[in-house]
Amino acid sequence: MASVESSSGDVIVFTPKASKPPPPTTVGVLGWLRENLFYSWFSTIVTFAALYVIFITFAALYQWGIADAVWEAESRRQCLDTSPDGACWAGIITWMNGIIYGRYPVGEQWRIDLGFILLILWMAPFWFPRLKGKIGIGVCIVATYPFLAGYLFAGGERGWFMQFTVMLAVTAFINSWLHVVLALATGRTLGEWVVSLTGFAGKHERMHKYPIFGFTAIVYAIVYFFLHDWSVVSVETNLWGGLFLTLLIAGVAIVTALPGGITLALARRSHMPVIRVFAIAFIELFRSVPLITVLFMAVTMMPLFLPPDFQLNKLVQAIIGVCLFAAAYMAEVVRGGLQAVPNGQYEAAKAMGLTYWKSMNLIILPQALKLMIPNIVSNFIGLLKDTTLVSIIGLYDMLLMLKAAGQNPIWIGLHTEPLMFGAMVYFVLCFAMSQYSQSLERKLKTTR
Amino acid sequence: MSEEATVTSEEHIASAISDEVVITFEDVNKWYGEFHVLKDINLSVQKGERIVICGPSGSGKSTLIRCINRLEPHQDGHITVNGVSLDGSVKNIDAIRSDVGMVFQSFNLFPHLTVVENCTLAPMWVKKMPLAEAEKVAMKYLERVKIPEQAEKYPGQLSGGQQQRVAIARSLCMSPSIMLFDEPTSALDPEMISEVLDVMVELAESGMTMLCVTHEMAFAKKVADRVIFMDFGEIVEENAPQEFFENAKVDRTQLFLSQILAH
Repeated sequence: MASVESSSGDVIVFTPKASKPPPPTTVGVLGWLRENLFYSWFSTIVTFAALYVIFITFAALYQWGIADAVWEAESRRQCLDTSPDGACWAGIITWMNGIIYGRYPVGEQWRIDLGFILLILWMAPFWFPRLKGKIGIGVCIVATYPFLAGYLFAGGERGWFMQFTVMLAVTAFINSWLHVVLALATGRTLGEWVVSLTGFAGKHERMHKYPIFGFTAIVYAIVYFFLHDWSVVSVETNLWGGLFLTLLIAGVAIVTALPGGITLALARRSHMPVIRVFAIAFIELFRSVPLITVLFMAVTMMPLFLPPDFQLNKLVQAIIGVCLFAAAYMAEVVRGGLQAVPNGQYEAAKAMGLTYWKSMNLIILPQALKLMIPNIVSNFIGLLKDTTLVSIIGLYDMLLMLKAAGQNPIWIGLHTEPLMFGAMVYFVLCFAMSQYSQSLERKLKTTR
Repeated sequence: MSEEATVTSEEHIASAISDEVVITFEDVNKWYGEFHVLKDINLSVQKGERIVICGPSGSGKSTLIRCINRLEPHQDGHITVNGVSLDGSVKNIDAIRSDVGMVFQSFNLFPHLTVVENCTLAPMWVKKMPLAEAEKVAMKYLERVKIPEQAEKYPGQLSGGQQQRVAIARSLCMSPSIMLFDEPTSALDPEMISEVLDVMVELAESGMTMLCVTHEMAFAKKVADRVIFMDFGEIVEENAPQEFFENAKVDRTQLFLSQILAH
């Protein structure tokens, strides 16, 4: 209104006042300290008391864990002789290999490393800004990596199916990185390069898929030529263990939980009675039963219903059990998110003529999933920690390997340090997930 | 309701009604559970006709227009839109929805998409229009509602009036033959009502078939070819705007008009 020109003399021109800065004692570090720690004489006393409690706690922990700790020793006896009141980290260091890889043969452990490194390399492009075709890379990973990793970890003879999928996974990996390098260097995608180099650029868009298929086939042939004889020895799954097994079970469960949960949640909200009743029954059944029971059922009861010559792997059964359990929990989280999307969004999507699946994929789920990130991630964190329960059915996950350390004759009685170490590993993993979820929330935050 | 401020000219704009009937209601009845919300509705709308529906809250006026694109199914009677019967067949419903635009009281823009993405979504996914063409269409209509400069913003960054204009542009991007407005200005601050009404008046001038639930009586006087008054799920009175406002025949209508025009 300030700019309003008054033509007659009796109109008062309104000009807004200029903004002034706030008083200096209420802002910055000083303002914060005054406001939160030293507001009154009572809060000052509480502040110092709290500081003292924190100090003695951490001092004791430091004394035990670092100052008096033993880092090099042959046995627990030697640890105790050197420093009776300190932590015996030497035992953890000696057991480190078992804690990470379980009883996996030492000579074959590079396969686990390779599997994880491949996954990290493959997923790295997701964090590159302004890269086209991230969805394609994601689809490649989800569709082919499990076979490659499964073969790397388990080894043995490859049937025709595994031969095909493993070769395809290697092809997809090579194509993905070829695409990333080309796209970052030249700004054009691998597909565009292939189309223009083969002279298909002038033809109709529908024809463009043929040179891309052809290129993939050539890469596949090269991969096949070099790798078709390559094989690694078989490692039975009962030797798998440690952090590797924990990450494997949690990883599979996390990757399947979200699509499974979304499917179940949509089914539960469906208007078709059979689908809805099935979804409700599934979700309520799995949610009302402890995970341990599900695992026992999977391992001891399932074989009773299957033909006697049908041999099931205990690890596979456990993973299936954890996945079903996780999907049931995730379904309720997703349902909560779907309900949080205002009804008007459904109506607007309908009124525009979008079909059910299109309106779900384009309108409802993107909003619902964004709202649900904190819940989904706390579910994932819970899932990672729940995998410790597989130790009860005799799978040597990290927790069981840590316990085994204290039962070894040389390191007998070493219980506190392994659990402390396990707690730290779990904390690092879970805290990293939590931080990632928060950064994701900030990144996706748009004003509603 | 600041009539003089919102619609400046009292002059009724020329109508472009053709003989072709685009919407018919035949003895339509609808219930929410036990509640009888629409009672024996008979109505026919001609191409290019502009109808304003008013009435107290709970009178069924929103439900009436939401039946046209089957956001609400009716239990009894027949509704025909552009010659297609609304009988629950999914194919018919999709055909009608892609040809009938709707603007809601609460805008219902998609908050996770930018303004231009809001406008291109339906043409791309329903009409399979290529992105470049869809964006061209979107910009054309955003210019028509006078906010092309906001195209890259998210709905949450816009004022209510701007959001509602985007919602109108979004519906127009599907090039509908009929537009439904469900109290488009009721959720707006008084300052913003006129900018939305101006867009609607401009749309009326272009010959669009419009059904509008609103309490903006000045808009009704200026634009409507017919005003319908509803109460208790019935069409109490329908008449040309001048007749309706000056010589309402039913006492219920007179009472309603005296209440809303009192100040």
